[in-house]
Amino acid sequence: MNFLGNVLSYQHFPIYAIMVLFLGSFLIAVFGENRIARNILALLSITASLGFILKLVGPVLMDGEIIAYWMGAREPAGGYAIGIALEVDALSLFFALLVSIAVFVSGVYSIQYMNRDDNEKEYYTLYLLLCGGVMGMVLSGDLFNMFIMVEILTFAAVALTAFRNTVRGAVEAAFKYLVVGCMGSTCILVGTAILYAQTHTLNFAQLSQLVPGDVNTATKVAFALLFVGFGTKAFIVPFHPLAADAHGAAPASISVIISGVLTKSGIYGIIRITYFLFQSMGLGTMQFLLVFIGSLSMFICVTMALAQHDFKRLLAFHSISQIGYVLTAVGLCTALGVSAGLYHAINHTLFKGLLFLAAGAVLHETGTTDLNKLGGLAKKMPYTTVLFLVGAFSISGVPPFNGFASKWMVYQATYQKAVESGNIGFLLVTIIALVTSVLTLASFVKVSHSVFFGQLPEGLEHVKEVSFGMRFAMAIFAVLCVVTGLFPNLVTSYLTEPAARAVFNVAHYIEAMGFDGSAVTEPVAVSFSHVGTWDPVSWLLVLCIALLSVTIVAVGSKYDNVSRSKAAATESKYELFYGGEAQELSQLGGDDLFWGFKHNWRGYFNYMHRLHSGIVNDYALWAVVDLALVMLFSLIVL
Amino acid sequence: MTIVIGALQYLGYVLIFPGFLFCFLAGMLLCGIDRKLVAKMQKRVGPPVLQPFYDFFKLCGKETIVPAAAERITFMLAPLVGLAALVVIQLFIPVFGFTAFSGMADIIVILYLLLIPALAIILGGAASGSPYAGVGLSREMVTIISCELPLVLVLLAVAKTVGDEMGTGLCFSLSSIAQYQMLNGSLITKISMVPAAVALLLIIPGETGNHPFDAAEAETEICEGMLAEYSGAPLGVFKLSHAVKMLTLTSLFVALFLGGLGTGILPLDVLLMFLLCAVITAVAISFVHAVTARLRIEQIFKYYWTVVSALALISLVLAWYGL
Amino acid sequence: MFKKLIEESTGKSPWLFHINAGSCNGCDIELVSVLTPRYDAERLGFKLAGSPRHADIVVVTGPVTKQSLPRVLRAISQVPEPRCIVTMGSCPQSGNVFRGSYSVAGPLSKYVHVDVDVAGCAPKPEAVIDGLALAAQILKEKRGQMK
Repeated sequence: MNFLGNVLSYQHFPIYAIMVLFLGSFLIAVFGENRIARNILALLSITASLGFILKLVGPVLMDGEIIAYWMGAREPAGGYAIGIALEVDALSLFFALLVSIAVFVSGVYSIQYMNRDDNEKEYYTLYLLLCGGVMGMVLSGDLFNMFIMVEILTFAAVALTAFRNTVRGAVEAAFKYLVVGCMGSTCILVGTAILYAQTHTLNFAQLSQLVPGDVNTATKVAFALLFVGFGTKAFIVPFHPLAADAHGAAPASISVIISGVLTKSGIYGIIRITYFLFQSMGLGTMQFLLVFIGSLSMFICVTMALAQHDFKRLLAFHSISQIGYVLTAVGLCTALGVSAGLYHAINHTLFKGLLFLAAGAVLHETGTTDLNKLGGLAKKMPYTTVLFLVGAFSISGVPPFNGFASKWMVYQATYQKAVESGNIGFLLVTIIALVTSVLTLASFVKVSHSVFFGQLPEGLEHVKEVSFGMRFAMAIFAVLCVVTGLFPNLVTSYLTEPAARAVFNVAHYIEAMGFDGSAVTEPVAVSFSHVGTWDPVSWLLVLCIALLSVTIVAVGSKYDNVSRSKAAATESKYELFYGGEAQELSQLGGDDLFWGFKHNWRGYFNYMHRLHSGIVNDYALWAVVDLALVMLFSLIVL
Repeated sequence: MTIVIGALQYLGYVLIFPGFLFCFLAGMLLCGIDRKLVAKMQKRVGPPVLQPFYDFFKLCGKETIVPAAAERITFMLAPLVGLAALVVIQLFIPVFGFTAFSGMADIIVILYLLLIPALAIILGGAASGSPYAGVGLSREMVTIISCELPLVLVLLAVAKTVGDEMGTGLCFSLSSIAQYQMLNGSLITKISMVPAAVALLLIIPGETGNHPFDAAEAETEICEGMLAEYSGAPLGVFKLSHAVKMLTLTSLFVALFLGGLGTGILPLDVLLMFLLCAVITAVAISFVHAVTARLRIEQIFKYYWTVVSALALISLVLAWYGL
Repeated sequence: MFKKLIEESTGKSPWLFHINAGSCNGCDIELVSVLTPRYDAERLGFKLAGSPRHADIVVVTGPVTKQSLPRVLRAISQVPEPRCIVTMGSCPQSGNVFRGSYSVAGPLSKYVHVDVDVAGCAPKPEAVIDGLALAAQILKEKRGQMK
């Protein structure tokens, strides 16, 4: 009995949450031939993982406890951490929560979505391996374990990118991802090795204690290597072309994981090394590095997205653009900024997951994601359309959806930082963020017009709505999008602020593992106050009253004064107006819808077009150049 | 009991003043004044000032045709959502000292709320399935992008100036901006705010889609763009929304730059506000309409991102250095 | 009362949609001249609409050629009720100098009910305004007869 109680203590839950995913993966590899067994195993393991993580929310996020877990109870000996450790603070758990929610929903979606593919057994094996890798990475308490998990997730993601290898470009995309992803992993490994040589430990807490006091050339190089390594995992500029290819080729349920979760793990790694390992965020130059790369990702990727005509590639570029928001906000090094960034991270997981699932639904039913070949699906797939619109409004920051709430906090944080530091550069960041937001809106207006509204092209007359399972998965995300948008105060006070506090409480993180954290000085005082006001619930209430009164007046005065004969639908009266000609199909191409904008920026777009050559050698070169620049930067300023 | 009275009061705000009834009357009157002024500037007699009311009621009496290719629900719902969203924005804009709903939304939120009516007309147009609407929505979206940058700069400049004066460094609350101006005089009297005010004047016709920035609804080339398939009452609601949008943007101008003129007596204030709105309409919409020809869409973009943005940027930089 | 208001308004805000059914462009220019400062038909609420969906009065010019006939009928059918059809110039009424040509299918009244004819080649702007004002009256009556 005592044993059972011990086993069920929440101290063990982090390792269970990782283990069930890997266990599920291995079991499916063995017993997965049967479809029902496979689905049950997959659902069971993702649900169990979600359950374990949810159970931890109470102690870790609410009470601020840090779970320090030594595998095999191998505690540090002689002042050095020997064993493998998991350390779960509010930040880790925050990311783990994102992971488990996204994994759960995309798992539910997969069951219907993948039913037309063969090799489903391999799919679920790799899928759970990927999820376990991400989960392990964010819960890990030591650097080498983190590297191992990064390797697992990278290889699983590469294999899944090429899963539909009959799709044109899938293998190529996977190869590009493999090459640059491996360069990133190697960077992480080398950085880890250097740090180990310097400090003789791999434990995060102990590294955070030892590294900041002993910054030399070797650790500076290690910083650059780790930063670039995690940068490749987050696909921030200059690694964004990989994401586009990978998302375009991978099944939508995998895109949800890659975009919603894998990129977040890169951000998690960057937060860990900058705020914890090197504690360098107090430096203005380090803030500059993060904010600069963040703003660059934000702007370049949104403009790249405007030039796309493939639904999923477009979403891929947007996902890096949104990661740019997260990185920018985190790089401000204010409590409000970190909180805003993490808030945007949750929201991005939710709305981008929703959008990828909607893209997957369109692909599942029509067999294409090319914006130039789609149109008018709103009449055929009404539920998917509504769910897509929720996601589109969220990502483009239309109140009261969640994207607006977090972007609005990002603007507050950047502008406040600009005013407090007197640095006009941060003002520029605010402006870039605001403009990026409206460009995002433009991009999604394009998608909604080219895919869901407009005219139905020939050959799509027999498209049907997707099955209930897929709609249910999308609906979970959509409901979460609305809820997190309507109650920003709840989200910030229960999720992001505890996590942000953890970021600014490194001493506690070190001491929880039994090391000495007294030397840590925090760069800023933790304050979440800001000057803006936004009360979405009251606003929505007022809007509803307003809408209701308009509708009552409209209905009362026979607003809907339409003659509704079924036979009449073919009459010329109900045809579209074509200047007197008979109605015909004339589709507006999706890729050049906003030429008025692109015409003025043609120099920039042509340059970008040449730059993104699609050749893997070029992208590898970018990685090397990026590494060299970051290394130079860290050698000079750190 | 007090709850009931409070609820009735707020309902009154939404339905009567400064909500629907006020928006309807004032917006339509502004629209009529605009048409009359343009006619006068072109040496015409012009339609009666009440012409927009006639147009609206006539459209209410017309048959509504929903094309067979259209997505019916979005098509019919879009105008209503657009109108409701605009009326809600009007509730947040202070009439000098008076704000119906303060502490609910700041100016960054207003910036985003202004997108909802535009989005409503875009989605309504897209749902109609007409290719004219497709071209129209493409142009409308580019116009929105064009206006967004200078509008952001103007709002940030105002936020910084008022924040500096109040000692908080930043001020995003519209009612605080109004309060500040009541105490210290209108913002337009500050040298640093003059370029921003001019920029906002130039943004107003772009946001409302008036001449010469009406490429999105060019009736002679793309059959009024997104409205091409609308008829009857929904069209009337869109026309009403256009009129209310004129009111919203001009009263935003008054709230941001002329807020110090209030008398403190509400009916007088409302009258003054309306007169100021009419003056701004005359300057920013009617005059510009009468003397210019329609710009192409890429010219609109270029104009806003160079000339108007530069004006707003001057203001922001001046405000940044506390001038 | 509300119905009365709508009926009154209908007479005061007639929007025009102009269809050229093979016209020589003379009447078209005269129609535009009606909206210029000298004659200013906007004082009566007239406005040129871009799409037949917005229009109340359809103004047809030209002798209605065989090519244009189906287009004219389609555009007219797309105008919501109540609507008025005005022929402008002699061509749509009689065929004028084009009468008897192999390519002319007119007059228009063979195909749809025409409410007002404005004769002339081209009609004077005063005559056009008079005809349009008459059409506005008919429009108001038609609105009154609707339920």
